[in-house]
Amino acid sequence: MLWMVLLGIPLVGAFFVLSVKDSAAKTTAAVVAALEVLAFVAFLVGPKPTLDLNWISTWGIRFHLSADGLALFLLGLTAVMTLVAILASKREYGRTYFFWILFMEFASMGLFGAVDLFLFYVFWEVVLIPVFFLLTGWSGVKGRVAALKWLIMNLFGSLFMLIGVVAVAVIYQENTGHFSFEISHLTHLAIAPAAQPWIFGCFALAFAIKAPLWPFHGWMPDAYGESPAPVTALVAGVLSKFGVFGFLRVMLPIFAPEMARYETGLLIWAAAGLVYGAFMAVRQKDMKMVTAYASLSHLSMIALGIFSLTAAGILGATFLMVAHGLMVGGLFLILGVVEEKVGHRQFSGLMGLNQGAPRLATYFMFFALAVLGLPGLPGFAGEYMIIQGLVVHEVVFAVIAGVIMVLAAWYMLRLFQGIMQGRPDAPAVADLSRGQVAWLIPVALLVVLIGVWPAGITSHAVPSLFHAVHFVAEQGGIN
Amino acid sequence: MQGLTELLLLPLVGAVTIGVFKSVVPQRFAGIWASVLLVASFALAVLADIHLAGLPAGHREISGTLFNWVTGFGPKIGWNVYLDPLSGIWLLVITGVGALIHIYSNGYMHDDPDRGRFFGYLNFFIFSMLLLVLAGNLLILLIGWGLVGLASYLLIGFWYHRPSAVRAAKKAFVMNTVGDVGILIGLALLYVRFHTVTYTGLFASFAHATPNTAFFEWTAVLLFIGAMAKSAQFPLSGWLVDAMEGPTPVSALIHAATMVTAGVYLMARLYPLLRLAPDVRYAVAAIGAFTAIYAASSAFFQQDIKKVLAYSTLSQLGYMFLALGVGAYTAGVFHFMTHAFFKACLFLAAGSVIHALGGEQDLNQMGGLYKKMPWTMASFLAATLAISGIPPFSGYYSKEAILGQTFNSGHDLLWAVGVLTAGMTSFYMFRLFFLTFFGKPRNQKIYDHAHEAPAVMTIPVVILGILAVVGGFFGAWLNGWLAPVFRQYPGALHAALEHGPVYGTVLAVGLAVVAFLVAYWLYISKNTPARAGIGQWPGRWMFAAYGLDTGWRYVTILPIQVVGSWFRDQLERGILASVVGVANGIWLWAEDLRPVQSGYVRRYGLSIMVGLGVVLAYCLTRV
Repeated sequence: MLWMVLLGIPLVGAFFVLSVKDSAAKTTAAVVAALEVLAFVAFLVGPKPTLDLNWISTWGIRFHLSADGLALFLLGLTAVMTLVAILASKREYGRTYFFWILFMEFASMGLFGAVDLFLFYVFWEVVLIPVFFLLTGWSGVKGRVAALKWLIMNLFGSLFMLIGVVAVAVIYQENTGHFSFEISHLTHLAIAPAAQPWIFGCFALAFAIKAPLWPFHGWMPDAYGESPAPVTALVAGVLSKFGVFGFLRVMLPIFAPEMARYETGLLIWAAAGLVYGAFMAVRQKDMKMVTAYASLSHLSMIALGIFSLTAAGILGATFLMVAHGLMVGGLFLILGVVEEKVGHRQFSGLMGLNQGAPRLATYFMFFALAVLGLPGLPGFAGEYMIIQGLVVHEVVFAVIAGVIMVLAAWYMLRLFQGIMQGRPDAPAVADLSRGQVAWLIPVALLVVLIGVWPAGITSHAVPSLFHAVHFVAEQGGIN
Repeated sequence: MQGLTELLLLPLVGAVTIGVFKSVVPQRFAGIWASVLLVASFALAVLADIHLAGLPAGHREISGTLFNWVTGFGPKIGWNVYLDPLSGIWLLVITGVGALIHIYSNGYMHDDPDRGRFFGYLNFFIFSMLLLVLAGNLLILLIGWGLVGLASYLLIGFWYHRPSAVRAAKKAFVMNTVGDVGILIGLALLYVRFHTVTYTGLFASFAHATPNTAFFEWTAVLLFIGAMAKSAQFPLSGWLVDAMEGPTPVSALIHAATMVTAGVYLMARLYPLLRLAPDVRYAVAAIGAFTAIYAASSAFFQQDIKKVLAYSTLSQLGYMFLALGVGAYTAGVFHFMTHAFFKACLFLAAGSVIHALGGEQDLNQMGGLYKKMPWTMASFLAATLAISGIPPFSGYYSKEAILGQTFNSGHDLLWAVGVLTAGMTSFYMFRLFFLTFFGKPRNQKIYDHAHEAPAVMTIPVVILGILAVVGGFFGAWLNGWLAPVFRQYPGALHAALEHGPVYGTVLAVGLAVVAFLVAYWLYISKNTPARAGIGQWPGRWMFAAYGLDTGWRYVTILPIQVVGSWFRDQLERGILASVVGVANGIWLWAEDLRPVQSGYVRRYGLSIMVGLGVVLAYCLTRV
């Protein structure tokens, strides 16, 4: 029942928003999103029922959703960031915009909750639609190009994932004589050795494109750059987690032996993205691109944690997914405010906006520090756990991750200082309005809370991941 | 926990309240409020130490856990708080010297329109530093460690409209992050092996461990990198000199008396680990000695009053590391304490001078100020005598203990470097003293406007000056106070203060006296200008600290920028083109497939038959 509410609020709310006047759309959408946050809180404090309905019984497909420790806080992240993004959006965007935002929330909730592989795939595809329309309708000059790139690359990936899904189901049917897409049933599959890398690769490709992980990020610069700040915040904060989430939800249970076998290669792949993103971020002149490539780098950091196949690394990855969503989402929203004030996204030398805008400077710096991994804030906690996982048997990757943390300090301070500081004669810009502070404060407080008390999240992450980790342990991939 | 939680939270409360209310309440209250909180913290620190002293000698520790930091099926780490005599010393110095500097700042920052923010940052720094020394495990230490780095960043860049301050702040933060990462990986390695990072848990396991294994050498190296970055040991030293861009009280508190000694604290705390890594311990001593002489020689030709003091801080920190490296743990802590007194005094007195001269820091514009600022001059002189190691001033005792024990432990070369540095210290400090306060005024206009600082500034300076004189007499007490700490675990056999041979002491003091005479002859008798010698070799080299910054630039920054540009301009283009490639591929594929949809049912039927046949054949061959 609670799941019906959790999925129903954004879906019904989205269509309701379509029916109100453009001028009332933002308020209505905000109320819907706030209700969704309340529904999540009910989930958080109360029991966490699953929803399990028969869907296509011939093939054993079920409408099965569960808020286990892996998904729980990602659902919360989606609810919170959607509300904040709506509050940060312009009223003039109109009802269709808010419809798509809420529809995106619905699809994201479904994706994070799905524990049936087919259902997971359905939501995976559904989520492409709202982003496509948000990019075409409300973006900059290159919005249509960005939307097409998004669609082509992700459809390309999904195609392979579909092949993978069907292959896994067929193999399961061969093994057992009946169909099931339930992810927990699909473990311990006997996949022919020759087929293993191909099926594995199908999923990995789809997940890597969606995240994106290097070098499958071709769609990213345009999509992040062109979309309005709230959409960027949602895509970078929430949607980018789908890919890495897929590695945890789908790959780890189904392909644990393969992951253990390819571990070194996977780690090298993630480390390459980590380094590449950071080096790119250091050399960008566009404020959104610095953050975009920083995000690319951090997603590789999350992947590194997963690929370490250790308890600490996987726990760190789940934690960092939530933390990164809040931090990078907040930072993109701030950058949106800055862009609105100065009219462009380029920064060169020192712009000195701090003069006259101390509140903006404070929040900007806070989110920049969070993203760069300041000890005491959640980015640090996640990176600590990932490094803790990496030192178990791959110290060299821990060292690479450490070096990149230093680079992160460099590019984030370069961004913050470049825009805010260093000029006594800078033209004064207006400070953050009360309304803007009102939606920044909750995000900032949440960031502080989970930074000081990561245990609040990590202690919940036990049940589901524990199975995954233990399964890997059986395969000799962990110690 | 004997008021430790309150002690920790008091400055945090100050920082938060000032941050929230600074735009509502008049700015001057921020300074008063922050200072009152610091005095209260100092009182709590004294009470905590008194409580500690009341416990039996072997059990002088207070520990507790506030709440979990991380749990789950991965690592389990809590917010552990731990106080023992070692952290107790740091507690007293942080809050005591901190309170004096807070009070002083009320005068120094009086005319700054944004001083509420300044005091908020200052309180935040004290909170972070207390967290660092009260932490009961390495991870919480690292959180404090990172937050003091942030406080330092904020205060170096306090005047954020100055490009130089902005650059200096970034440099300090990034270099300190190098250290943070070192500690992070080091503690992660320790966790894997011992499943804990609490001091008590780790040290108990260390007692049975085999020394000299690669594991311990590497963890010790990583943790030492953290200490080097925070304490600005060569080659991670450049940021501290640039950090002088911050307001002078900040230089006194953070970049001399407290934060930069965090590395000394960490290494002293980790003496059981250093026992297991003798090579690293020797490296600590060698790098310390090298930094001492490197920084002392770099100070010779500096033109800025604060830069001389910055290099002298580097040099004195080098002495402390030398002490730790040769196993003279108490001597290292002793020197930390006396250094906190005399260096805070020097910086605050320099601040008074800068304040009196309307912000002028150039030695070429000073001179003759003793007439105008007698109290400042007297305190500065006391602290200069202390840092130069002239008996019976405080620095003499602590430095003598370090040099004596370096000699006793058989490190002849390091000892010689230390003695030579003692003489050099005396030279550049008296050069500074004479150029500032004696000789003819070099800029009459500035001189005419100079005046003694107000009482709110002078009194803290004088108190610190007195401590710089008498601080050396705390040695015997400190010896007894710290003895239980260093007896608790194996690894600090010679931790107690020792005396070296008499001729060594005579040599060090004699060199210092000769250096004083040379400085007197050069800068008083011959009235040599401050800028003499920086134009040609070796002055130019020494003035530029031997090109360390340029070296870093070529080794790290430029390669990263070049590779980054190559990624941006070449590789990224290929990746972006891949999208078009995918699109074209799909298009071509579609073109190829189009004839298949011919519309003829018989052709579809044929395809189905062929397909079925292929599948059948496949299945049959597999059976």
